[in-house]
Amino acid sequence: MENIRVMIVDDSSFSIAVLKRMLEKDGMEIVATALNMSEAIKKAQEMKPDLITMDMTLPDGDGIECSKEILKHLNDTKIIAISAMMDEEIINRAKKVGIKGYLQKPVDQSDLDSAIERLFEGEELYKVLKSNFEEAFKESIFSFLKREIGGEITVEKVLTHPMTTNSSGISVAIGIIGRHDGRLIMDMSEDTALGMTKKILQDDSQKIDDAINFLSEFTNVIAGNACSLLNGLNRSFGLRVSPPTVFRGKDITISIGDIMSESFLIKTDLGDVFMNVGFQKGAVEWM
Amino acid sequence: MDVTIINPFIASVTDVMPQLGFGNIVLKEQIEKSKKITASGIVLTLGIVGDKKGNVAYSIDTEGAKQIASTMMMGMPVDELDDMAKSAISELSNMLTANATINFSNDGINVDISPPTMLTGEDIELSMSKDQVMCVQFDIDGIKLEINVALD
Repeated sequence: MENIRVMIVDDSSFSIAVLKRMLEKDGMEIVATALNMSEAIKKAQEMKPDLITMDMTLPDGDGIECSKEILKHLNDTKIIAISAMMDEEIINRAKKVGIKGYLQKPVDQSDLDSAIERLFEGEELYKVLKSNFEEAFKESIFSFLKREIGGEITVEKVLTHPMTTNSSGISVAIGIIGRHDGRLIMDMSEDTALGMTKKILQDDSQKIDDAINFLSEFTNVIAGNACSLLNGLNRSFGLRVSPPTVFRGKDITISIGDIMSESFLIKTDLGDVFMNVGFQKGAVEWM
Repeated sequence: MDVTIINPFIASVTDVMPQLGFGNIVLKEQIEKSKKITASGIVLTLGIVGDKKGNVAYSIDTEGAKQIASTMMMGMPVDELDDMAKSAISELSNMLTANATINFSNDGINVDISPPTMLTGEDIELSMSKDQVMCVQFDIDGIKLEINVALD
């Protein structure tokens, strides 16, 4: 839990001192403290902390109001309520404004640690996913094509891709579901798909429907293998793949810019393959 | 026809659309199709895994999609399907499917969904993951919305 920047909001300087000691023990950096709502709002905007501990009773307002105001401007900041007062009604109000957790005073170190750990686990996992998914999918498609098609295979990352891409003929979409969800899109021309199907099955009589079946299974294997690799890095990813949907037609446009994704151009002796894969950060649930 | 698969989606449309500002929601047709479906305009597909596995594809014609985007954006005029309008439609598919998963869980079926994939084009041929596809067509304030569900 190092590198987490924290602001403590509490109307009691004693409570601030206690929380500060606990949080520093975990290696967190206390970037600000505030004794009231107006100070908290101002300092939150200045310091943009990763985490705020929020008291519910403040001299110039309450913790709910204060959190609501802070979260208007800071999307990535997470707030945990820490208050002597705790009942169902206030918990519900806290959830509604986007507070992520609620701890009752006096707080003990282990409760505080586990709450923060759970809150930031998703962030850490997303970072690991972000830095590993490209390699996993590249490796997965490369080894499949090398094994099944052979010949010269190159996988190149497309450095900047637009919001949309035009289909070459057949596209396959597979949903990826886990701690962070994602999506794999594979696209190639009918000729390339047919060529690959004929080569793999060693049968020249293959028709377009066979090619659709091939492409569907091909995408499924790439997604499945890549997700297994990623799950092997950290089981908490819990990635599972949904069955594929295949699209075929002229002038189909695919939207790829809606989530953080990377595109690859795979060149083979039988034609080019376009692959786009991306993930979105799963929301942190209430703890 | 396995209604347990399609009913959560029907309930989702009738729950969600009025909340977004649509008035008249009519279930026009409910049929079973084979694996291949043709659609024009906008197609959105989402993957489903869990107690049941498969996918759902929503299709709306371009004019209808513009009207939906406009209503979802508080009546802002939408002349063309720009990124903002597409994002609204994408969000709609997400809301409808997420709501359907809640309806499934009320029936004791737990499923999770993937982010949507959006395609645009004419005469798009879709192959779903299963041979029997449940299809419902809605008329929503004059807009035709089709939902195709393939779930095992």
